[in-house]
Amino acid sequence: MTGNHRDDSGLRVDGLTVRFGGNTAVDNASFHAPMGTITGLIGPNGAGKTTTFNACSGLLRPTTGTIGLSGQDITRQPPAGRARSGLGRTFQRMDLFDSLTVQQNVSLGLEARVAGSNPLKQLLSPPAERTAVRNATEEVLDVCGLTGLRAEPAGSLSTGHRRLVDLGRVLAGGFSLLLLDEPSSGLDSAETRRFGAIVQRVVAERGCGVLLVEHDMALVMSICDYLYVLDFGEMIFEGTPAEVRASEVVRAAYLGSEAVDA
Amino acid sequence: MWGVYAVTELMTFVLIGITTGSVYGLAAMGLVLTYKTSGIFNFGHGAIAAAAAFVFYELHTVRGLPWPVALIVAVVALPPMMALVLERITRVLSRGTPTLKIVGTVGLQLAIVGSLLAVYGGSMLDFPAFLPIDTVELLGVLLGVDQLITAGLAAAGAVGFFVFFRMSAMGVRMRAVVDDPDLLSLSGTSPFVVRSWAWLIGTWFAALSGAMLAPTIGLDAMMLTLLVVQAFGAAAVGRFSSLPMTYVGGLLVGVLAALATNFVSGSEILSGLPPAIPFLVLFVVLLVVPRGKLVEIGGHRVAPLSAPLVSTRTARILGLLAIVVGALVPFVVGAKLPVYASALVLVLVFYSLNLLVRTSGQISLAHAGLVAVGSAAFSHLAVGAGLPWLMAVVLAGVVAIPVGALVAVPSIRLSGLYLALATFGFGLLLENVLYRSELMFGPTNTLPAHRPALFEGDTAFYYVLLAFAIGCGVVISMIGRSRLGRLLRALADSPTTLSTLGLGTNVTRMTVFAISAFIAGVAGALWASNGHSATGAPFTSFVSLTWLAILFLHPGTGAAQPIFAATALGVVPAYITNETVNEWTLAFFGIAAVLVAIYESTRTAHRSAARHVTAANSSRAADRLAGTGPAAERLRSALGAASKRSTPDSTRVRVATSISARTR
Repeated sequence: MTGNHRDDSGLRVDGLTVRFGGNTAVDNASFHAPMGTITGLIGPNGAGKTTTFNACSGLLRPTTGTIGLSGQDITRQPPAGRARSGLGRTFQRMDLFDSLTVQQNVSLGLEARVAGSNPLKQLLSPPAERTAVRNATEEVLDVCGLTGLRAEPAGSLSTGHRRLVDLGRVLAGGFSLLLLDEPSSGLDSAETRRFGAIVQRVVAERGCGVLLVEHDMALVMSICDYLYVLDFGEMIFEGTPAEVRASEVVRAAYLGSEAVDA
Repeated sequence: MWGVYAVTELMTFVLIGITTGSVYGLAAMGLVLTYKTSGIFNFGHGAIAAAAAFVFYELHTVRGLPWPVALIVAVVALPPMMALVLERITRVLSRGTPTLKIVGTVGLQLAIVGSLLAVYGGSMLDFPAFLPIDTVELLGVLLGVDQLITAGLAAAGAVGFFVFFRMSAMGVRMRAVVDDPDLLSLSGTSPFVVRSWAWLIGTWFAALSGAMLAPTIGLDAMMLTLLVVQAFGAAAVGRFSSLPMTYVGGLLVGVLAALATNFVSGSEILSGLPPAIPFLVLFVVLLVVPRGKLVEIGGHRVAPLSAPLVSTRTARILGLLAIVVGALVPFVVGAKLPVYASALVLVLVFYSLNLLVRTSGQISLAHAGLVAVGSAAFSHLAVGAGLPWLMAVVLAGVVAIPVGALVAVPSIRLSGLYLALATFGFGLLLENVLYRSELMFGPTNTLPAHRPALFEGDTAFYYVLLAFAIGCGVVISMIGRSRLGRLLRALADSPTTLSTLGLGTNVTRMTVFAISAFIAGVAGALWASNGHSATGAPFTSFVSLTWLAILFLHPGTGAAQPIFAATALGVVPAYITNETVNEWTLAFFGIAAVLVAIYESTRTAHRSAARHVTAANSSRAADRLAGTGPAAERLRSALGAASKRSTPDSTRVRVATSISARTR
């Protein structure tokens, strides 16, 4: 086990291609998000970031390519199977369980995983599991600063709190690798910084891996260890934040889209 | 010789099938057009057809106007008014959740059918044959001139519509909308005008098909409504999207049904199959068409948040109070006790439907079928096999479970509208094929049933029913507080997220359908036992629709709803002394359901709007609106083409569609 080089740890995607009819959304993209680090996936609008995420979490079937988690090939697994293998994700649109309270949302992060596909476990929770769920929930509510809001229905929260509940849910699930989809959208800069700090703390404490899709460059540059840049479905650059900042290719891709914007 | 005979025979059925199929096709095209432009699948489409036929009857037969005048009023002049009302109602409903949209138009159907039944009665009236009834020979087959005119009119309507759709500016706008509803708001034309036109054409087609179907089958509000429901099968062939394929689907359904009549004649078990062919088509298409091809217009909306009306403590007190009141009923109501006994059975029915629809967000329009299965199973077990009463009741619930699992199969791949339609098709299949076969209710369509030995009396058996209702309420509230309860509520909110958290959501769906089917089966057994007989008549698919509408009359979510619904449906009408009280209450429930759906949809809309302002997740829509990059450029040019008078090159519109599909 200890002999493994870093290749096999975390999430490894090789030659991922996703086509929708005639459109190629992601074209032969490869990247690696190792454990214990925060890896960023950036690119202009429509570059294929969310499509990549959906392929990783199993919501879409890739046309070609393989997806591996900790050395295990999960390309053919359904979303729930991948989650049980340790892959958790958040959604850009923050799909919370709006009619449930904050506490219930967070605890479902673990309960859904524990219950899995076992009808009996979905029906009943043994006391030991209940304790585990309660402890995980309390810890996460504390880490995310949501303790005061635990009894609020999730549907009544502000965007900033919704982001935290979404994150809290995957944190409670104890996933080893987290896919975070544009967590800063809709947040102000203070909320974004706070969010970044929580993610950094969790990675440091738990040693889990994070793959972050993000538009907020300040956040990306401050918390990511390594970056991949997608444009029109192709991986055009990879490197440390400093290297990305210096790259002409990346600048051209972003400037290009801005030029069209204007 | 025989071969020639067989070919002629076959030809007869094909031609008859084309005649009726043409009418289904026309009705179905109206249905699909309005669905695509407004996002509302109108369950009341058939009721509109029935209403038009009754207006014709009223003017021509009752008031003696010449038939052309009556026809013009019923089929040409009346629809614009209906279309305006429909446009207004559906505009609001389109902002609601998929369930609310269904409840709204189901309410519309109940309101129209209920009023027609109240005014004209439930028995079939003679519809005047206003077209010539001579016969002509075509391809060696004798055909009625009226049938030919009908088929010709329907075909002319379809062709005329295609020409309009292809050539006119409004047609081009509609096509743009049918290709991608989002284009509507972007194209700079008034959505109101386009939608109103769509509703106008849809209502015209429905009215025309009603007037054309009535002479051959007679005037019966329920039957006419259901006949147009056959158009659902045709619409399924067109995948609820392609208008030409929908018309072809109508022909196909008509011919298949006519041919089936030929082939099953003589077989007892399959005799119910021909009229059920469209529902079979509906069910099968929804099960096999790739999910990506069935995109629900309007997509996912969040359900409005409803805080519990009362605290848990108050709820408990109210629950105890309800039990006390229930226990006192026999001392107070006197001769009305049987009414309350059946209402208690309805409490079970509504508990099981509530668990499915409101708690876990699944929709089933086959629920009456499950109750019917339970009551038939009870009779077979208790009377046929002589099992002890209680054991037979429980086993009747168990027998309903696999049927419930069958209903659940579509829920694995479908949700919202398409799940509703698939289960509706399944319910109609059950009703048409299984209810009538000897297998289920025996040769006389009624099976005997009995009450338990020591509780034969009305009062004694009332307490047995009360015990079941209380037991059911306790079990349901335990489920609500358990892990399963949380999982079900989460499933209603966001099944995708739940699966990315590791839950096998198909297992959850199967579980909830199984539990619900068990309770429905037990309710069926109690129903049969209470009335001393088991029969399918009280459990039609129309009843399933009624139950769904009534379930939504009580606001909020909680244990009180089933009790409220059972009281409204079972008890209240018994205290109104009026011959047509049942029909009028049906109409009243329909109107109430429409109003509730409208009210709840406005709340949903407010909530989603608020969400969009706070979350910047509308950024994508904004991107699309503002337009960045070459893709948007292409979209814009396609839009320009679509909104101009010229007929756009269709590939460009398709490009726009695929682009917006991708951006989504």
